Amino acid sequence: MKSILTAALMAVGLTQPLAAQDFPSGPVTIIVPYSPSGNTDVFTRHLAPYLEEQWGQPVVIDNRPGGGSMVGTAQAAQAKPDGHTLLITTSAFVTAPAIQDALPFDPREDLTPVANVGHVSYILVTNGDSEFNTLEEFIDASKKAPKFAATAGLGTTTHFAIEKFIADSGADVDVVHFKGGGPAVVSILSNETDIYGSSVSSAGENLKNGKVKALAVLGNERIDALPDVPSTGELGFPDLEIKQWVGVFAPAGTDPAIIRKLNADVNTALKNEAFVATVTPLDWTLRESTPEGFAEQVDAELNKWKALAVKQGIKK
Amino acid sequence: MEFLGNIGLGFSVALSLTNIFYCFLGALLGTLVGVIPGLGVLAAISMLFPLTFHLEPTTALIMLAGIWYGTTYGGSTASILLNLPGTPANAVTCLDGYPMAKQGRGGVALFMTTVASFFGASFGIILLTLFTPVIAEYALRFGSAEYFALMLMGLVAASTISEGSAIKGLAMVVLGIIIGLVGMDTQSATIRFSFGVLGLLEGVSLIALAMGIFGVAEIIMSVRRVKTADIDPETLKLSAIKPTRDDVRRSWFPMLRGASMGSFFGTLPGTGPSIAAFLSYAVEKRISKTPERFGKGAIEGIMAPEAANNAADQTAFIPTLSLGVPGSATMALMLGVLMIHGVAPGPNLISSQPELFWGLIMSFWVGNVILLLLNIPLIGVWVRMLTIPYHILFPSVLMFICIGAYTSGFSTLNIWMVTAFGTLGYLMRIFRFPGAPLLLGFVLGPLMEEHFRRAMVLSRGDFMTFFDRPISATIMALTGLVLIWSIWSSETVRKRRAPPEGEVALARDATDA
Repeated sequence: MKSILTAALMAVGLTQPLAAQDFPSGPVTIIVPYSPSGNTDVFTRHLAPYLEEQWGQPVVIDNRPGGGSMVGTAQAAQAKPDGHTLLITTSAFVTAPAIQDALPFDPREDLTPVANVGHVSYILVTNGDSEFNTLEEFIDASKKAPKFAATAGLGTTTHFAIEKFIADSGADVDVVHFKGGGPAVVSILSNETDIYGSSVSSAGENLKNGKVKALAVLGNERIDALPDVPSTGELGFPDLEIKQWVGVFAPAGTDPAIIRKLNADVNTALKNEAFVATVTPLDWTLRESTPEGFAEQVDAELNKWKALAVKQGIKK
Repeated sequence: MEFLGNIGLGFSVALSLTNIFYCFLGALLGTLVGVIPGLGVLAAISMLFPLTFHLEPTTALIMLAGIWYGTTYGGSTASILLNLPGTPANAVTCLDGYPMAKQGRGGVALFMTTVASFFGASFGIILLTLFTPVIAEYALRFGSAEYFALMLMGLVAASTISEGSAIKGLAMVVLGIIIGLVGMDTQSATIRFSFGVLGLLEGVSLIALAMGIFGVAEIIMSVRRVKTADIDPETLKLSAIKPTRDDVRRSWFPMLRGASMGSFFGTLPGTGPSIAAFLSYAVEKRISKTPERFGKGAIEGIMAPEAANNAADQTAFIPTLSLGVPGSATMALMLGVLMIHGVAPGPNLISSQPELFWGLIMSFWVGNVILLLLNIPLIGVWVRMLTIPYHILFPSVLMFICIGAYTSGFSTLNIWMVTAFGTLGYLMRIFRFPGAPLLLGFVLGPLMEEHFRRAMVLSRGDFMTFFDRPISATIMALTGLVLIWSIWSSETVRKRRAPPEGEVALARDATDA
């Protein structure tokens, strides 16, 4: 009986496909799995008006913080797959599952990547008065006397960035977790820890007035905000291409035509000059992507961080 | 001279018509949010946050800050009149505020807490104006070991916060700590007591716990009492807010001590007004010559915590503005406002954005004066709240508690938690287990654990870290002294209560004869 019902419902669904050109037919809710005022929330709030303009429908931002972004992500995974509920989240989408194994959703099966909209670069920072001025000096010093690295929390991208750095450089560093980027920066300022993978904005003014100094940019290229700071690629670590990216996801089962339309609309918004002018000062590097390309990236990163978590013994 | 120039600059910004308007709006909203139990400042500011996109950053901050400190002013109202804390930071004010209201001195209590709030806030603002850069540097010397030592001292000092059985008090502290363990461990990602509920990964919501234990439990108890309280119409008159000379005399030092403690805890990121209020109450009770008056309407028991939480509200801006480090989720929202407008918070903010920095600080004076003027005439209105029949008042309060709990995490799970904690709180009342120690354990326990674990990682497992570092060692020594003193004083109290052998014998003889 149940299967007949399901079949009937599916048939109804098939006979009335949600035409992508009619999308969206009502308000679109974007779930942001972080608190208001966080980087991701601010980015989404800046983006929303440009999507509203294209769609002629209101865009509602729904903050669902908790569980290192996993609470809101789970909520999006359970939403109706009609494109009217979307998720905008960070690379925590691929790092958190590497250490949390009791998630009520499968990041591969239950959400469909739509677009990777851009990223924030990380810089490795240390106290302004510390005795090391280059990354090499830091690695050598750590081999003589072990050092401490701060993170913004277990399972965050800052955590995995440091673990990957330790794995690749052989530096002798113990990881200490803080609750968020703020306390982690304080621990650098107060010399409690020695290194932290920070975004330029959370290091902020402290970087300009020399209270903290940048040793390297994580990645293969330098960044515009800090043209004098070498990239880890230049320093001989080609695999440290680690960015805090932000991406749009839709619940799995959303019509592929709608996914393509969403991707195109987001990419259009990203090209809007007014939008670019607002978010570039906030450290964002915008980029265009295809749903397929982003899906491949998500899949590869899920594997990569899971393997790192096992190798570094992060998960039991 | 430069200093006076800065003050002048600050006032010129704060006294612009737009800024006064938004300051008033913030203070008014804050008072309302504070008076209504359950609605929290974080929820209120989160909801208004998107609006600040369209305001000047200074104006936006002035408004949000007004809500932030306005809440603490308003929060004591429901604590005093209904035994329902408006915010967790006002929970301790229930202990003596509600007995005062029952004695028909509700108006006095409301008037005096407004004075204490203004005093505490002024104390905080003066510190903020004069010493921001110095204090920020000092706060940096507090590492994980120091935080742990400080929290341990707090727990030891406040363990006798409630009346009655010490064993029951201690049991509640432990229960609070256990509830605080729920969620994901910060250093190992081990999930504890979450029973597979994803929403519990972040731990139990403070609002849900405080509102359940204090709010819902109180409502259930009142329903059982059935009869509405008899209210003496005399106590509703505006003249009934006049404190006695004795009240004023007793209030000075508690206010001063409360304001100092509050200022101290405010500057430390991660602590804040709730802890400040609890500890200043504990201190007052400890140093009082008549600790038995506490819990029965002692005016010191409302003055100290209300001065402390307001002072902490103001000094919380010190690390936020000078280091760019938010001490709490609410402060993180304030920083968010700055970042949205492209202002990077940090040590240079004072020199690079003097209009913003000084304008904001001077607006605190404007806001606090507004709150004073707003609150004193309102006392009459609030006291009249007691004349609302319970069958209308309590369902509305319950509704607000539910709204507040929901908005504190945008999750229905919080409402279930309010229900669960309400039941727990009701059972606790029946068996006479005190609620305040539970809340204290819940607030301090997870902080202690977090800092202890981190201190252990940083010392590579050496316990001596708490005694090697000078600040931590000093606090530890003080903790030891507090412990010895409390054992000694409880011993003397016991001796005093048990009359010496001879007297007993005499008394027996007298009755025999």
